[in-house]
Formats: sequence, structure tokens, C-alpha cells
Amino acid sequence: MSHDQTEFAEFFQASWEPCLRAVVASTGSVSLAEDQVAEAFARAWLSWRKVRCHPAPRAWVVRTALNAGVSWWRRRARELPLAGHDPAASRDADDGLDAAVLTALRHLPDRQREVIALRVFLDLDTDTIAGQLGIAPATVRVHLSRAVTTLRCELSPSQAVEADR
Amino acid sequence: MNDHEELNDSAVLSAVRESVSGLPMPAAPRLEAITARGRARRRRRLGGLSLAAAGACAALVAGLAGGWGSAGPAPQARPTPQNRVPAIHLAAFSVVTGRGGATTLTLSPSQVVDPNAVRRALAEHGIPALVTANEFCRTAVQPPPGVGAVAEFSPQPRLVPSGSGRPPRPGLSVVIYGSKIPPGVKLSIGYRQDPADREISFTLIVAGAPLTCTSIPDHGPHPDDGPSGP
Repeated sequence: MSHDQTEFAEFFQASWEPCLRAVVASTGSVSLAEDQVAEAFARAWLSWRKVRCHPAPRAWVVRTALNAGVSWWRRRARELPLAGHDPAASRDADDGLDAAVLTALRHLPDRQREVIALRVFLDLDTDTIAGQLGIAPATVRVHLSRAVTTLRCELSPSQAVEADR
Repeated sequence: MNDHEELNDSAVLSAVRESVSGLPMPAAPRLEAITARGRARRRRRLGGLSLAAAGACAALVAGLAGGWGSAGPAPQARPTPQNRVPAIHLAAFSVVTGRGGATTLTLSPSQVVDPNAVRRALAEHGIPALVTANEFCRTAVQPPPGVGAVAEFSPQPRLVPSGSGRPPRPGLSVVIYGSKIPPGVKLSIGYRQDPADREISFTLIVAGAPLTCTSIPDHGPHPDDGPSGP
């Protein structure tokens, strides 16, 4: 196995789970996220010489995975009023996802959800997120602030308090 | 932002983190599976490039077949069901033409399906199609003979692998009679790229006419609409 291959293998083993969690939080579906992350790692393998020099290779994978299913949430959000109920809560129950958090995340615009995923699950700082998304750090802070405000309204007070303990 | 708000922000982000962090995640697939997927992607890309370079000539069909890695020989003439074009079986979808000229398209519920690959596969089986993921396209005029005469849902969808050791699941199967599609008409096939919310919809469109695409199937106002179902 060449040095590049060994390096990619180590990156893949160490990064699979955090990347998957970030994409699960964004897509709301473990099975869908699993496929999108696998696709993103396949693309990372193809472009490993470029990705290995990226300032945040995990963020590259997450972004690529999210781009693979970018219209998914937008469509689900449009369907919500038609369905008259929240389909995510029931459909994703098998995945063990928290329905309240899932619904709250779904109500966020794509960009805000991306910022949340990169901040919360990859622990990226504002400047790195900005570089990854190609936007200004101030814009990242605005997205994060608005996302948190929306999530605070959506989540029940008891849940937020419990998580803060 | 004051300390109280900081605390609340932290609580909110913690709630999001906790909601996912406690979940058991599927184990990473084998590295070989990832690299094989990468190689397949590269082959598809190279197949597409050969298509662009060679232009619209019969030899291109051979290049496309090579791009998918299918084993069978490329068809020499315009593909028709009678020509017995080799079946295409990929993880994400399959296209099989059986006796009587009926072509069965099956989409896997658990794979991301490349609409361009589906379109090329159908073209190889003699079916002119517009294939879209997560959107459903139609033209203002629904041409004859009506989609009901051209395509129908398979009464017994094929089981397809779900991956990660899960049991096979029924795929989204559509039976298409390509020989009944008149010249200047295409079959528009839209599907949802979402394992939790499977749907496929199809209708006939006028080739080259302006399209109207929506994120959910438009079931009206045309009485001759294509069916839609899980």
C-alpha cells in the first residue's frame, strides 16, 4: 500500500463517524446520510492529493456529502404543510433520532444547517467554517446566531435545560 | 450577547449534539467498498467524456457501455427491444428488457441514483427519457398515446440489496414499453432520492418543449397524467 493509500485509509477510519454524525444531523436520516458520506469519501479518495492539503478535510467530506443531497430538505420542508403533520417524526423513528431536534433542524435554511453541522459535529471555528463555505466569518456568525435563535424557539424548554446539565 | 444568552446558546447546541451523539452509527464500510465506488465513479466520468468527444454516432453506444463496465457487447444498430440489449445491473438501479419488448427499470431504495446514468441506460434499451431526481418534469402538452399505454408500475417489484447487511427491500420498478413511444416524445421519469420517502412518477413529454418541474409530482390538471406511487 502506497503512502497516499495508507494516509487515506487512516483518514477514512478516523473520520467516518464524525462526518456521518454531521450529515445525519443535516439530513435527518441515518441511511441516507450513510450513503451520501460513502459517496463523499469515494470522491475524496479520487481527489485525495487535493483533499489531503485541504485545511479541513473532514469539512470537505461533509460538504461534499451534503451537496449530494442538497435538495432533500428543501423538498421535505415544502411537503410539510401539505401533509398536515410532521412526517419526519414517524419516518425517522427507526433511526432513533430525536424527533423534536430533527424537526427543528429541518426548519432551518440549508446554509444555517450546514453551519450548525460544521460547528457542532466537527468543532470547526468560525474562520475555518467561513473558508470552507466561501463566506465571510461575520456571515458565519450571523447564520449561527439565527440558527440558534430558531432552534431555541423550536425546542421545548425542558429539552434545552436538560441538555445544559 | 450576555452570559445568560451564551448559556442558552450552549444549551441549544448541546441539545443538537446530544440528539445525534448518542445514536449508534453504522460501522464504516470496508475501505475496499469506498475505493471501488470511487473507481466506478471514475469509469462513469470517463464514459461521459467519451460520449462528449465522439458526438452522436453509433460507435458512442459502445463507449457508454464500456463506461458502465457492463460485460456485454455494444449494440451495432439503433437499440430496440428486439436487439436484446444486455441487461444493466448496478447497485443503484437495473434496466432489463425481457421478452415482448417490456423494459423493467428498478431503482434501489437505499442508493443514490444518478439520473444521467439511468437516462443513458434507458437510451441503450431504446427508450428516450428525461430522468430527474427530486423533481418531476412535464410539458404543457401531454402527447398521445398517453402514459398508461407506455409505462406501468411493476406488480411485483424486484428485491434489491439494502447494504450494510440489511435484508433486501423492494425496489421501485416500472415496466416500460419503449416501442410504443412515438417519435418526438419522451418519457419523463422523476424519483425521490430518499430511502425514507420513496416515490417515482412518470409521464410523457414533448421532446424539446419547455418543461415545468416541481419538487412534488403535479397530478393535475391533465387527465392523462402518469401514475405516481411508492
